[in-house]
Amino acid sequence: MAGKSGSTPATYSPSLSGQKKKRPPVLADSNWVRPDGRTLHQCRPAFLRTGAVNSASGSAYAEFGNTKVIVSVFGPRESKKAMMYSNSGRLNCNVSYATFATHVRGQMPETKDISSMLHKALEGAIILKSFPKTTVDVFALVLESGGSDLPVITTCASLALADAGIMLYDMVTSVSVSCLGKNLLIDPLSEEESYQDGSLMITCMPSRNEVTQMTVTGEWSTPKINEAMQLCIDACSKLGKIMRSCLKEAASITQD
Amino acid sequence: MAVTSGPNDLSSEMEVDAFRRLFPLRFHERHLLESLRPDGRPLGRARDTTLMLGAVASANGSAMAKIGSTTMLAAIKMEVMTPTAEAPDEGCIAIEFHMPPICSPLVRPGRPAEVAPVISKQLSDTILSSGMIDLKELCLVGGKAAWMAYLDIYCLDADGALFDAALLSAVAAFSHLQIPVVSLNDDGRIVIISEDNNGGAMKEKEPVNKEKIKLKLKSVPFSLTCVLHKKYILADPTSEEESIMETFLTVVLDSSFQLVSLNKPGGPGLTNSSAIQDCVTLTRQRVKELQKILNEAISDMEVD
Repeated sequence: MAGKSGSTPATYSPSLSGQKKKRPPVLADSNWVRPDGRTLHQCRPAFLRTGAVNSASGSAYAEFGNTKVIVSVFGPRESKKAMMYSNSGRLNCNVSYATFATHVRGQMPETKDISSMLHKALEGAIILKSFPKTTVDVFALVLESGGSDLPVITTCASLALADAGIMLYDMVTSVSVSCLGKNLLIDPLSEEESYQDGSLMITCMPSRNEVTQMTVTGEWSTPKINEAMQLCIDACSKLGKIMRSCLKEAASITQD
Repeated sequence: MAVTSGPNDLSSEMEVDAFRRLFPLRFHERHLLESLRPDGRPLGRARDTTLMLGAVASANGSAMAKIGSTTMLAAIKMEVMTPTAEAPDEGCIAIEFHMPPICSPLVRPGRPAEVAPVISKQLSDTILSSGMIDLKELCLVGGKAAWMAYLDIYCLDADGALFDAALLSAVAAFSHLQIPVVSLNDDGRIVIISEDNNGGAMKEKEPVNKEKIKLKLKSVPFSLTCVLHKKYILADPTSEEESIMETFLTVVLDSSFQLVSLNKPGGPGLTNSSAIQDCVTLTRQRVKELQKILNEAISDMEVD
């Protein structure tokens, strides 16, 4: 039928009857109850696995609640012909969303800025001098978008880079926090992100204790920012341990 | 691995991997002589195949199919459209096949793979002409509203036989598809009735369908791609085999073994027509396997 009528008829996604989505009143002193039953400072359970795509040099799959991401790493391989000679290697990042990733089909966020954020988050951790004249490509596909997409992509990408055997100073982990009234929510869902007053994301190398990227948007007070940063850094170091054990497990399987 | 050979053959002096890269055709032909393929399969056997239904929570129906390491993720999203004047009581199916850059080193962002639109067209031709889905089942209110099923198939890992894996995931996604309970509201728009307030919301408007509907699938199509090389027929080729040998033949049969489609996209001519017969015979065996895999996946889903 797709080819029967030349133009695709206009379609809409049926909405839920009788329920108009309203921002739940968040009073200054009320406590936010998280839709998935977590406590405010609890991250979603993380599932990480390397070697998801066989045709890539390295790859990883990450699942944080409903956020599901695959990252493939290709290279180091020949840079584009148009590129100038470079003594250090290049990093190329691209993020795309599957059409079914979001609740309504095709309402994907702008991926150009996500790609450049990913590039900046990873660049500082890769030993670019170790692959002169060549390019490493990091491609991400978001299969389902369930909130905190960029931190999950960054984390998954660093795992894929490690799987590809690209030299890194350290693993890169990333966690975000949403501010909702007086509450700080770690690892927010997309619903919580849509209600937030402000958001803070930290990308760091946990064993070196270095921050490669930090973004703050919206309304924040200084003590809140300090508290949120501490929350993120603690969560990042825990996530780093999970990633290490995932890599160790993969290595022990290949050895057997 | 060392297959002994004549004195003037380089292969005795070279490492296997180097020989494989430098002389891929001779490497494969050496295997074919022994009726074996580099991954240990006999010529007519397809790779291990797995199927998982309901892989995408945000879709109305979804499935992940794996043939060897070729992986496909298919998901269906249902939207509402106004039916066309020619077919007021029919819905619509739009099928798209995507090859994102993650799936293969050959695909780069901004430079989409050439095969993707070809497979996309092949898939929609096959699914729509096989008569698997009665488009009348997708009708909601005659002349006013009908379902538009958007089927998107993503290749997550490309290692040959892409069409076979894509078709399998598409068919499985349709068998997992559940059409939600909806009703027509006063503005003439279709709205979803949520399950939990089913009792209370009943009074506002009679729902169009009382409960979640599963499509009745008739004559489900399955396919097998074969590579023809000299006198050999290799079922379910890997991407390495596809890149070396040139003649492909894809046979699609439905569940009662009726021929749905036969596709030979160019390449050198076939020397004999009996090769086509042999491919059809191989496909028959494969259809039986795939039917069993699909049925098992469906019954696994029902147990959960």
